[in-house]
Amino acid sequence: MTKTSKTHEASFRDPSGYIYHDGNILRRKINPIYFPQYKKLKDSGFFKTLIKNNLLISHEETSVSEDQIIITPEHIPFITNPYEWGFEQYKQAALLTLKIQKFALSKGFILKDASAYNVTFHKGKPIFIDTLSFDFYEEGSPWRAYKQFITHFLGPLVLARYHGNEVFNMLQAYIDGIPVKMISSMLPPKTKLSSVLYPNIHLLAKMESRHSEDYKAETKIAKLSLKAQNNIIESLYNFISKLSLKEVSEWGDYYSKTNYNETAFNTKKDLIRNWVSSLNAKKLIDIGGNDGTFARTVQDLVPHIMVTDIDSNAVDANFLQILKNKEDNILPFVCDVLQPAPGIGFNNTERESLIHRLTEYKPDVTMALALIHHITLSGNVPFKKSAAFFAKFSKNLIIEFPKREDSWVTSLLVRKREFINYFDFYNQSEFEKGYSHFFTLLKKEELTETKRVMYLFENKNYDS
Amino acid sequence: MNFLYFDPGLGAMIVQAIVAVAAGVLLFSKNVLYKVKSFFGLVKKDDSYDSIDVDEEDTEETNDKNQ
Repeated sequence: MTKTSKTHEASFRDPSGYIYHDGNILRRKINPIYFPQYKKLKDSGFFKTLIKNNLLISHEETSVSEDQIIITPEHIPFITNPYEWGFEQYKQAALLTLKIQKFALSKGFILKDASAYNVTFHKGKPIFIDTLSFDFYEEGSPWRAYKQFITHFLGPLVLARYHGNEVFNMLQAYIDGIPVKMISSMLPPKTKLSSVLYPNIHLLAKMESRHSEDYKAETKIAKLSLKAQNNIIESLYNFISKLSLKEVSEWGDYYSKTNYNETAFNTKKDLIRNWVSSLNAKKLIDIGGNDGTFARTVQDLVPHIMVTDIDSNAVDANFLQILKNKEDNILPFVCDVLQPAPGIGFNNTERESLIHRLTEYKPDVTMALALIHHITLSGNVPFKKSAAFFAKFSKNLIIEFPKREDSWVTSLLVRKREFINYFDFYNQSEFEKGYSHFFTLLKKEELTETKRVMYLFENKNYDS
Repeated sequence: MNFLYFDPGLGAMIVQAIVAVAAGVLLFSKNVLYKVKSFFGLVKKDDSYDSIDVDEEDTEETNDKNQ
């Protein structure tokens, strides 16, 4: 067997080292230029403390030679990107970054960059994944990653407060954070009275445009004491931990608004549990899984579960539940099935598309409960096309089909008004026909006392 | 120190001196307010978010054991 060794597509900016695929294992190569930092971070117990506190991903030293050190970080099954986080997740990622910077400063180090991509979610918590992001603190030097922190964290969070969680989608267009000038212009004027937002955003925007033409790097940079730098970090930490969305849309009511009773609800849960356990699944993704209610029915059976929803409030509700119950096998993230996250950055591969990541993740089971009528009737996606989408990454598919008589489907159909006849194809036989192009039907069961049918499909062309 | 592989922004380097003063004043006044409030018994404990400080105690213990 030949091993492929390929540099990770997102790992090229930092000359300290890079990540590469060694077969299926992800490793990190450290260049000699970074040896002094690495050795100090290791020998002083700095890495150890952060890892022990679950703040930094753990790693093992694989090999050490004169021209390279190889470390192997703990495997993370799936990487979510900042534009796929709910507000609470984003906030926790920002706080984690500040916490690490403060700790680094106390030990004579700094975070040399503060990119939101340095954080991801693993085992129910945010975790810092860029082990080489640390450098020596230089007496009196301001924080070089300060602006990055503002454009990657504070800016998006504050914008989300005023304009909603959808603002995070802007990060798909600005891979290195939202420009400060834009953040400043999008904030309401009253934020100029805030003792945190005025200096950190509005004044920063002014200073940046004033000094943008210093081509020869002649302007003198004032020294900043350690105490002063700690004050900045602490005040940002206090501010962000109190930050909340201005309009928290009412969430949490979903399951009380369902159009079926408790018996049907439990039948559906039992059925899912039976089917999932018969598949002996190791990895499962519940698309449109709301706050994870149905995913939790198989939580003890499946080691790694992902739950996505288009509603970031549902994702947040799920995340808060995970934190509260210290659950470590559920990963919630925001996903619009009709427009999944694209591949962005250099070569369009720096941050991979959702489909690409799902294809690599290879879930054993994909669940799509009460989702198909949204895809088909709100998104106007034909059955064959939605089947092709699921077939790209799913080995088995558990899908719920609400019939035309289901009250929600009826309501979606009625809204088509004079075009209602265009949607005559929305029925069970057309659905089965569309899905048969890509899937083999294994099981099919009507949910008693409802107008819904549950299907279990197996992918015809799954390459495992 | 490594050379930087991204532009830290000159304005951002300069502005930190002003940001730090504002933050210092804010933290100081919060501290005073906290002391006044706790004197009158008005402080509510909010532990929904972790403290910014990293807990080093149990790490040191394990270090000792390992040695």
